[in-house]
Amino acid sequence: MKIIRTALKKIQAVIEKNKYLNPLKPILNAADEALFGTDKINIIPHITDYLDIKRFMFMVVIALVPVVIASVYFWGLRVLAVIAVSYIFGGLVEVGFAIVRKKEIHEGFLVTGLIFPLILPPGVPLWIVAVGIMFGVIFGKEAFGGTGRNIFNPAIVGRIFLSVAFPRIMSVNWQVPFSSGWGGLAHYQNTIDAIVKATPLVLFKNQGIVTPWINMLLGSGAGCIGETFRIGIIAGGLFLIFTKIVDWRIPLAYLITAPLFALIGNTFFHSHLAAPAFQLLSGGLLLGAFFMATDPVTSPFTKPGKWVAGVLLGILTALIRGFSGYVEGVMFSILLVNVFTPLIDSVVLKLRYKTQ
Amino acid sequence: MLKHLRTFKGGFRFKNYPGQAKPLLSLAELPLRVLIPLSRSSKAEVKPLVKKGDIVFAGQIIGKDAADILSPAHASVNGIVEDIKYPKESKSESAIIVIRSSDTSRQVKPLGGQLASWQKLNNEKIKELIFLSGALGLPADSSGKITQIIVQETASEPYNYSLDLILEGENTLNFIAGINILKKIMPSAQVNLVFSRKNKKIINEISKLTAHLDWFNLCTVEPKYPQGCQQVLLSTLLQKKIPHGGCASDIGVILLSAEEVLAVYDAVALGKPFIEKIVALSGPSFKENIHLKVRLGTPLHEIIEGRLKSDESIRLILNSLFTGQELKALLSPIDKTFAQIIAIADSKGREFLAFARPGCRQDSYSRAFLAHWLPGIKKSVDTNQHGEERPCISCGFCEYSCPAMIIPHLLVKYVRKEIIDEILINYEIFNCIECGLCSFVCPSKIPLLKYIQEGQKKLLAEGFHVKK
Repeated sequence: MKIIRTALKKIQAVIEKNKYLNPLKPILNAADEALFGTDKINIIPHITDYLDIKRFMFMVVIALVPVVIASVYFWGLRVLAVIAVSYIFGGLVEVGFAIVRKKEIHEGFLVTGLIFPLILPPGVPLWIVAVGIMFGVIFGKEAFGGTGRNIFNPAIVGRIFLSVAFPRIMSVNWQVPFSSGWGGLAHYQNTIDAIVKATPLVLFKNQGIVTPWINMLLGSGAGCIGETFRIGIIAGGLFLIFTKIVDWRIPLAYLITAPLFALIGNTFFHSHLAAPAFQLLSGGLLLGAFFMATDPVTSPFTKPGKWVAGVLLGILTALIRGFSGYVEGVMFSILLVNVFTPLIDSVVLKLRYKTQ
Repeated sequence: MLKHLRTFKGGFRFKNYPGQAKPLLSLAELPLRVLIPLSRSSKAEVKPLVKKGDIVFAGQIIGKDAADILSPAHASVNGIVEDIKYPKESKSESAIIVIRSSDTSRQVKPLGGQLASWQKLNNEKIKELIFLSGALGLPADSSGKITQIIVQETASEPYNYSLDLILEGENTLNFIAGINILKKIMPSAQVNLVFSRKNKKIINEISKLTAHLDWFNLCTVEPKYPQGCQQVLLSTLLQKKIPHGGCASDIGVILLSAEEVLAVYDAVALGKPFIEKIVALSGPSFKENIHLKVRLGTPLHEIIEGRLKSDESIRLILNSLFTGQELKALLSPIDKTFAQIIAIADSKGREFLAFARPGCRQDSYSRAFLAHWLPGIKKSVDTNQHGEERPCISCGFCEYSCPAMIIPHLLVKYVRKEIIDEILINYEIFNCIECGLCSFVCPSKIPLLKYIQEGQKKLLAEGFHVKK
């Protein structure tokens, strides 16, 4: 520990002296503060909560650990390479902006960089991952002024960019998951022959086949890297709600509305809208509801606004899945509701403070 | 009548802070010198009645207001007036009478006119005794105007002095007598005791003793911060609000502590001037967490000398970790506002990988640390900020914890952008009760309270008015 500290101090001294290296200061500061915490002290109140943004984001990462482990099991060790590419390239953009702006490096990226690979198809080429995360961070976050000011969830921006720009690559790379023995823990990726499986949502849309719910829950179906192990997603989501890191209102409203709307729709448009349980367990609904729709920056901060957003998300997801050309209802609906977030909040505030 | 009050929205319950003052009382040694300030508020001051070299006795009135409105100043030891220091350039400092203690007798001369069977005294005499003792300053025309007397001991801070100690033994009976005295001089008032639910023993005892009184309410509350704050207390108890900038007596309420009620009894029945006070020594940086009985005017350093741990840098705080000021001037005297002195480590060394630790001792509004599940382990407490300042992510913690039901992060966004106009008033910036919880819970370490106060100041400076 002391060795690291003295090393950091030495590097700091070098950077201070050399004016060409000076812009690298944010990197050093970030490393220093991440390792040793801050030495700032309070004025009033004299004590503060131990929770900081690092811990906040770290909790989300912890909640995703089961999902990451399961996805390595299903899709092979290559998943780790995809995550590494996402972290490295996204991190480069983040650090680059911090240096140019002469600001601190913010921790929000820890979550974006992990969620993004989880919503990509398992066979995605690595260069696509790099392009997607860089696009997402630049246009989804930094263009708006960085953490706390972005309107859109950067991971979703990156993902949608990829779906629209590279539709072929993004829709044919569905693999058959490993399901026996050591599974993907012992392989780099599944054999090429296995790449012909459609996701449950595509199966339903094109052929009306409903995948059994137990397969979807345990993750033996096709799908994006991190969306198939749904038990792990539910556990991680409940963990976050329990630790108060995310608010329970949006996931609850979302996960009630989507199947409810599907139930009503299913009775009228049997072939378009699948039954409620299938809606709930297919695609990225659970991952989106627990980990992306709840992003505090891009979701409404008022309590009534959270309910409204959740309900909107549910309806939009079912509608897009049922009637549009895409099956990725969750990401489009989250992006759309992100747009409405400021409006929802300002209407709620207007109503709340009208009488005074 | 015993009532359980419903708790308010927001707030946070602080549990298990290390170094709570134990219910042990020890007498502080008589100080060598006492400093008796003559100021009563920022503008008002009493006039000295003694001059340099005069011999005074403990309890003697040495400073008085000609109109008998401001409460008098008492000598708190037997001794000689060593000096009267007038403020020179600095306006904030008031005149101070310095008395050198001359003997070690703890005897205090009674005020005169007191009566153990106080029921026989007339109201005027009782009021005079209370006034002369300096126990509390009753508002003018208190007999008719005051409709509610509230004695509050909610113990909702991270550190609280021990009510068990203050109402120990016969003090419970004296306390009830004190309440009866106050009721006698303010006959139209209802008396409310608001105690923390945790003081079960005292609550039982008092409710037995007062069951027959119909003007008497014993209320219990959850000791959740900031239940003790005036505005929160009044809204949970009476559903009343104090207008911004006003005080409780504007709406016919006086708020007292148990110790003040005891002082009323001591003044009226025993003729004791209020020159002694119980001060709790709380916080892990004291060697021993006890209560001390100290003479008012004792310089702070005489109290803490030898009682602090010496191996760390320490911050001393008056009364509250949230709203109390830091005690920097160790030569300044103990006055009536001292209920406890809190000593916690200042700027403890940095922690390796703090964000990734399980956190068995880390207190947090969220449940992100193991400490939440380990109620038996004492929390750690120091003045470190525990994280760097970051942009607001609208997590909503400040809003959920706010007892005044405003949205701190929203107000702060406007203040930081220098948008100072009606919108802030519309968003109820003046409802802020300055409890500091928003700054405490913020994971982005934004000093929200500071910005809210700044916004209020700027609004008033620009001529906006508080909406009534």
